Amino acid sequence: MGQDRYMEWDSSGGGLLHTPGGVKDTYGVLCANKLKVQDAVHNVLRSYGFRDIQTPAFEYFDIFSKERGTVASKEMFKFFDRGNNTLVLRPDMTPPIARCVAKYYKDEHMQLRLCYIGNTFVNTDKYKGKLQEVTQAGAELFNDGSSDADAEMVALTAECLLKSGLKEFQIEAGHAGFFNGLAEEAGFSEKDTAKLRSLIESKNFFGVEDLLDNLTVSKELKEIFLKLPDMLNNLDEAIDFVKARSKSEMVYKAMERLKKLESIIQSYGFGDYVTIDLSMLSNYNYYTGVIFRAYTYGNGEAVATGGRYDGLVSQFGKEAPAIGLAIVIDQLMTALSRQKLLGTDIVQGIIILYPQSLRDVALKNAEEMRGKGKIVQLVRKSSSVPLEEYKEYAKRMGIERILYLKSEDETEDWGILI
Amino acid sequence: MRYITFALAKGRLAKHTLGLLEKIGITCEEMKDEKTRKLIFTNEELGYKFFLSKATDVPTYVELGAADIGVVGRDTIIEEGRKLYEVLDLGFGKCRMCVAGPASARKQLNDGSLIRVASKYPGIAKDYFYNCKHQTAEIIKLNGSVELAPIVGLSEVIVDIVETGSTLKENGLEVLEEICPLSARVVVNEVSMKMQHERITKLIHDLKQVITE
Repeated sequence: MGQDRYMEWDSSGGGLLHTPGGVKDTYGVLCANKLKVQDAVHNVLRSYGFRDIQTPAFEYFDIFSKERGTVASKEMFKFFDRGNNTLVLRPDMTPPIARCVAKYYKDEHMQLRLCYIGNTFVNTDKYKGKLQEVTQAGAELFNDGSSDADAEMVALTAECLLKSGLKEFQIEAGHAGFFNGLAEEAGFSEKDTAKLRSLIESKNFFGVEDLLDNLTVSKELKEIFLKLPDMLNNLDEAIDFVKARSKSEMVYKAMERLKKLESIIQSYGFGDYVTIDLSMLSNYNYYTGVIFRAYTYGNGEAVATGGRYDGLVSQFGKEAPAIGLAIVIDQLMTALSRQKLLGTDIVQGIIILYPQSLRDVALKNAEEMRGKGKIVQLVRKSSSVPLEEYKEYAKRMGIERILYLKSEDETEDWGILI
Repeated sequence: MRYITFALAKGRLAKHTLGLLEKIGITCEEMKDEKTRKLIFTNEELGYKFFLSKATDVPTYVELGAADIGVVGRDTIIEEGRKLYEVLDLGFGKCRMCVAGPASARKQLNDGSLIRVASKYPGIAKDYFYNCKHQTAEIIKLNGSVELAPIVGLSEVIVDIVETGSTLKENGLEVLEEICPLSARVVVNEVSMKMQHERITKLIHDLKQVITE
């Protein structure tokens, strides 16, 4: 009594049992569900002609440098190799795949479709409720700069989400060239552009107004910037509004492209899932064209992101337009589980329980059944364990039934969870 | 209908916000009972939920999607540095983030030498001294009554919110530099903004009208 509980906590040996913050074990039903979702997404990607590629978990830091990067340098896990080169755990899958394309397919000039499932790592602050290692599944389509490719990737995202079991979601699409074109036309400095970008990104339009009041910018362009939040519902109207006020070729092209995207998505039949938002900004530096993000109920972040990055592969030495998508499986799992769209138990497999003397019979039965696609687990019966205990065990583990071999020609079939 | 959940920073800000919401027809009778021990309040009819939390936690609830909308001071938003939509300046709770200290500390602020800075806002203090002033500073995190620090010699200056400046004055301190103006803001979760777009934009629109009136 009266002892300090805190002092009693064992901080030595018990430390081996838990993972560091930000990473987690996935096991049991959760793991089964995750693999199921992953497979569903993977199958969709493959059915669209994407072929698998695997790249290493860590690469040289330069692969993810500022021009190519998706996360800030300080948010990457870094370490050194023996030659004192800086290495990082990949924070994103796209730059390594772009590197592969420039290296292994440097003469291929027709469509190239690659897909992957892998873990990415971001060194975020502790205690912020965010994972530092997440599984991503995604696809990259190279050597195709058409608007059909844009639309296919958005449609593919919708199909992946549907096949994963999700029912309600919204994909928001925009174009990186829209904001860049306007900023260029206005002639903002790099610093002001960055400020404006971050304000628009956080939908802080009173801040945008404040900033624009202090910059020299034409009345027309200012009107466009301030109108951005209301441009969501009617694309044609928005385009007319912008065309009357901007002369930027880049802006026109961006809007043209989104218009095409909207119409092709209709042909795919996914029109209801997609909204065009001109005010959407690319959060990754490498995006040059159409960008999109998918949202659903139950978690605070996007479950999928994607976009066109026509300049990235050339940074590795090959000119190739490209567009990609990434589905964050862990985010998707959170959403599915909070929307109660996941199974809550697994029941599978048969146990063959045999005494030592009947080992040969058991092995033969097991082989036969496995050949027929059954999941079979062999358990040698111990004379000191009562039969009841095996039944309890099977129940705990979610086993369908137990086949108990009593003698050469007598088998008892106990249904457990069927 | 899905609920829209509000996270409000406890205290004056919450009272003020509830007043504003009432003006646009969003009420919560349950919340007016000051003796209640309930943590979460519901308006079933209109589909709203409300809860009060410590100001510094509001951005956390909103970023992670536990609340759709939050009302909190800009000081907390900057300090927490979370990914949020900051959609509206409510215009009340106006004050400034300042560097304060005894008048004698002014010299050290200007000559760029190492300076000790106490603050409840280590993030803002660090950002200001490192990236804006380019001065090396030793930031000391405190949890309250920051004005004490220069008086007892824990630090040369403090970074804190200043409303009228009377607390500073009474303790022989003054505002030395101004970092930025502050006021109450409406923040919205990124996903909620997309998934409940119509309801949330209407709400913001209505609030905006009430404020400008």
